[in-house]
Amino acid sequence: MTGAGSLEALLAGYRPPAGGFDEMMEAGGTVRECYRPLADALSAMDRAERTARFARAGRYLREAGVFYRVYGGEDPGEEQRVWPLAYPPLVIGEGQWAALEAGLVQRAVFLERLLADLYGDNRLVAEGILPAPIVARNPEYLRPLAGQAASGEPLIRFIAIDLGRGPDGRWWVLGDRAQAPSGAGFALENRVATARAFGDVSRAMRVERLAGFFQRFRETLFRLTGSPTGRVGLLTPGPHNETYFEHAYLARYLGLTLLEGGDLVAGETGVAVRTVHGARPIPVLWRRLDADYADPLELFSASRIGTAGLVAAVRAGRVRLVNALGSGILETRALLAFQAAMAKRLLGEELKLPVIATWWCGQGSERELVRANRERMALAPAFPPASGEEGAMRPILPATGGASPESLFGPAVEAASLVGQEMVALSTVPVFSAGQLEPRPVTLRVYLARGEDGWFVMPGGFARVSQSDDPRAVAMQAGGHSIDVWVTSSQEPKPVTLLGGGGARFARRLPNALPSRSADNLYWLGRYVERTEGVTRLLRLAAARQGELGEGAPLIQRIGDLLAAYGVSLSHDPVVGLEAHARAASATASRIRDRFSPDGWRVLAELEELILRSPPGLGIEALQRLLGEMLTRLAGFTGLVHENMVRFTGWRFLEAGRHLERGTITAGIAATLLKGEPPEGALEALLEFTDSRVAHRRRYSVALSRETVLDLAMLDPLNPRSVSFQAGKLKEMLEHLPGTGGGVTPDGLIRRTARLAVRLETAEPAEVDEAFLNRASADFSAISDLLLRRYFSGAAGGEERGEAE
Amino acid sequence: MICDIRLRIGTDYPSAVGESSHLLRVRPRAGFGQSVEAASLLIDPRPGEQGRETDFFGNTVDRFRIDRAHDRLSIEMRARVAVERTAPDLNLALPVGEVARAAEASRDLAALSPAHFLGSSRAVKLVPDVTAYAAARSGRRVSVGRACLDLATTIRNEFTYEEGFTDVTTDVAAAFALRRGVCQDFAHVMIAGLRGLGLPAAYASGYLKTDPPPGQPRIEGVDAMHAWVMAWLGPEIGWIGFDPTNGILAGEGHIIAAIGRDYADIAPMAGVVTTAGAQRSWHAVDVVPVD
Repeated sequence: MTGAGSLEALLAGYRPPAGGFDEMMEAGGTVRECYRPLADALSAMDRAERTARFARAGRYLREAGVFYRVYGGEDPGEEQRVWPLAYPPLVIGEGQWAALEAGLVQRAVFLERLLADLYGDNRLVAEGILPAPIVARNPEYLRPLAGQAASGEPLIRFIAIDLGRGPDGRWWVLGDRAQAPSGAGFALENRVATARAFGDVSRAMRVERLAGFFQRFRETLFRLTGSPTGRVGLLTPGPHNETYFEHAYLARYLGLTLLEGGDLVAGETGVAVRTVHGARPIPVLWRRLDADYADPLELFSASRIGTAGLVAAVRAGRVRLVNALGSGILETRALLAFQAAMAKRLLGEELKLPVIATWWCGQGSERELVRANRERMALAPAFPPASGEEGAMRPILPATGGASPESLFGPAVEAASLVGQEMVALSTVPVFSAGQLEPRPVTLRVYLARGEDGWFVMPGGFARVSQSDDPRAVAMQAGGHSIDVWVTSSQEPKPVTLLGGGGARFARRLPNALPSRSADNLYWLGRYVERTEGVTRLLRLAAARQGELGEGAPLIQRIGDLLAAYGVSLSHDPVVGLEAHARAASATASRIRDRFSPDGWRVLAELEELILRSPPGLGIEALQRLLGEMLTRLAGFTGLVHENMVRFTGWRFLEAGRHLERGTITAGIAATLLKGEPPEGALEALLEFTDSRVAHRRRYSVALSRETVLDLAMLDPLNPRSVSFQAGKLKEMLEHLPGTGGGVTPDGLIRRTARLAVRLETAEPAEVDEAFLNRASADFSAISDLLLRRYFSGAAGGEERGEAE
Repeated sequence: MICDIRLRIGTDYPSAVGESSHLLRVRPRAGFGQSVEAASLLIDPRPGEQGRETDFFGNTVDRFRIDRAHDRLSIEMRARVAVERTAPDLNLALPVGEVARAAEASRDLAALSPAHFLGSSRAVKLVPDVTAYAAARSGRRVSVGRACLDLATTIRNEFTYEEGFTDVTTDVAAAFALRRGVCQDFAHVMIAGLRGLGLPAAYASGYLKTDPPPGQPRIEGVDAMHAWVMAWLGPEIGWIGFDPTNGILAGEGHIIAAIGRDYADIAPMAGVVTTAGAQRSWHAVDVVPVD
């Protein structure tokens, strides 16, 4: 099995199921032409080389932090899975793709007109082409927006179509995605990762680039704003959604502001983003949030992720949503049962792409047919799920033993919620599994966007391969993989990328008004990272002295008290408490991925992992090693922030959080260590905590004294770990925040901070006692309150923050 | 009959609310034998933005937004309505099966088309037990009018009116299993039963003129808003009100504020408020005949 082999060796064990269509191999066993260069390239590599190439792609995915979230897990650490990318890609030849493309564009036009009819004058229903219940009983028919098509503007501009290829080699439409089609961002990531593994092969095969598609789509979005400086938001359900990573990625990639419902204020006068500069209008939103959740006032009242008044803003024509609220009705399976007649009415021609055969059980004869043939059909919900019922019925396949729902045999009125669908046998695609190519069933999701002159298709897509060889069930949540999709071309592709310079207008657009929620998260990120560091340092102090002094020593007890206040127990697996702090930091960072470099996020994720991987009940030495490694990671994070983060408003919030937290912790520690009669070693401990031993030696020729230590660790404005330094920096950060400068009289926030800074700068070491230090701590927390009230009071959710007292 | 209606409704918040947005569907609506002679609405504190519109079903909606801190919201609606409603001869209505067929075949998606009022809606899910309950008291050949009144009376007789067992989120299955609840629950159960039979049924919310016990004066503010059912009795007769809480046809004392598929479509007051802790709400209605 070593050494590069022949094509025969590569394909030796490859046996697609008889009677099916294999993407790579013809029935006779020869490799299809479009796959030929890929198969040749693969067979020229030995297994070690292939493994090394896969590893390169894997490293990219890990470093970019590509993951998706699985619903239902309790532990946030376990909910996120590394993106399951398999190889090689699905290859589609130029000619085949051109034919498919024509069918897809035609379908998009059909869907656009269908939606315009459903939210317009309802001719399809009036003329008896479409039964009224398919609209009227549909949870995605949003009555507050009935008639919204009257403006004549397209209600959809970005859709996906799911395809499968049947045994005859024809592509079939399995379903349409118009609500908030996911996967386009993952398709991009798959492409970047696959290029790490097979860049040479893809160049040789002239694989079509994806960037051009996104560029056109982005231009479309910005043109919709109707102004050269207009902004576009990407409206996400938030970090708890399974595709949040993709939303953040696409927002960053396209230069959109990532927004949650709580970031917006909406009403008949329009939609605005709550930013630290005040409310800023936003005319266009790329909606990735299910419509029913978008406005608790007029739609699903239990939604906590929407914006009250959004529907009113849409009706008043003050905001454009891409896609329109209510476009999810196109995902209705029952619509698939009426395609031919609807196409004839709406297009005047037949659809080029066949649609999976579907029978709606709301009609007597169709219901009889489904009943009679239910062993050979899949039963599925006719309508999209109602909100709050996402876990409702998934398609039932007879062979898996799912019981036929009662309602199929009950009154017609209930059977109307079901369709019978032909069970499609999917084509197979080769993917490597344990070093061998194996045929796996595949579905392909393709993306279309609508520009001013019509629809265009992304040359590629998002392919999912099933883990089992059952050709019917493909679900990512059930553990499938995805693969890149290569559309080959006979022409040299033109270089386009959004990751580089791109359009100049976007380079200038950048310093955006910072949404209050992002500012809030950045501020807390600064605080949590600093808190993690503070607690780690304290623990290290204790660990270094515990052996020598013994657990009962007064100094150890005082440190133990301090740690207890931060939820860390000295005697009882201290790592558990530490982990909570690291997790708070990385969870906060993951909420603002769009504003944060992947490196920074990764460092924090590694930090959390470091702790999670350590065995319970660490010995002193192992604990010290762990703490040392943590401090290295934390220094790495600080370095990244310092070196890589552009000095916009967001950075100031993060820095304000760090300095405020460091000042609070340092003052608090000094107060506890030095109160009353300080125990032996307290001064050294304080010096060590503030990392000031060397400085002390150089600064003061005298031995340690209370005065010299307090002077250096608390009051020295040049020592970056002194409390005074934190107050000074904090003041500097706050002065540059929006709305604090420029005025004749400084506002309360600045005044308070300035007073604290002056007090610390001018104090004599002799007056620094417990009361002085406690007062400084109290000032820091009062400043935090003022800051929060000023910038974040309207921010999303008003999340509970764990505050250590 | 002419009536004066006064509704007072409000909430005390446990902590000050920075901003809030609300929708109200409390003004009497025109049509169905009602004409609104006057209506006014007073909101305290005064909203920053306020507007009135008509929703999909033709109900009047007041929308307002308060953007300064407040710890109490109170609303007062006053209206004068003339109602003229004659009870149809229920025996003349089409049989259940025929009405169901006509409803199913409807090609109309206009606001009050029967098509909107079939099957499950957000707050009324079809429940097999409730369908069976309704079917046991009906038949495909029975007059739909009789079937509706029978179901309303059966619910009146077999269910116990009792506050505190259910709330606005109680679903049909739960209320049915309890055999108790308030007017909203009874209306939802009846709607589920009728829709289970394939009959279009709507939810009506509004005001009920109540008579004080003989010889006693009217006590102010003891009543609350009421809810009942509108059933579609076929293309000729159209929508007729049935009150399962009282087991009767809706008469001139039933004054409609809004009609929808269920409570979720037409909650009298819908709001989005960010606050913590338990709120205290109040709600008082007076319907006084003018003579």
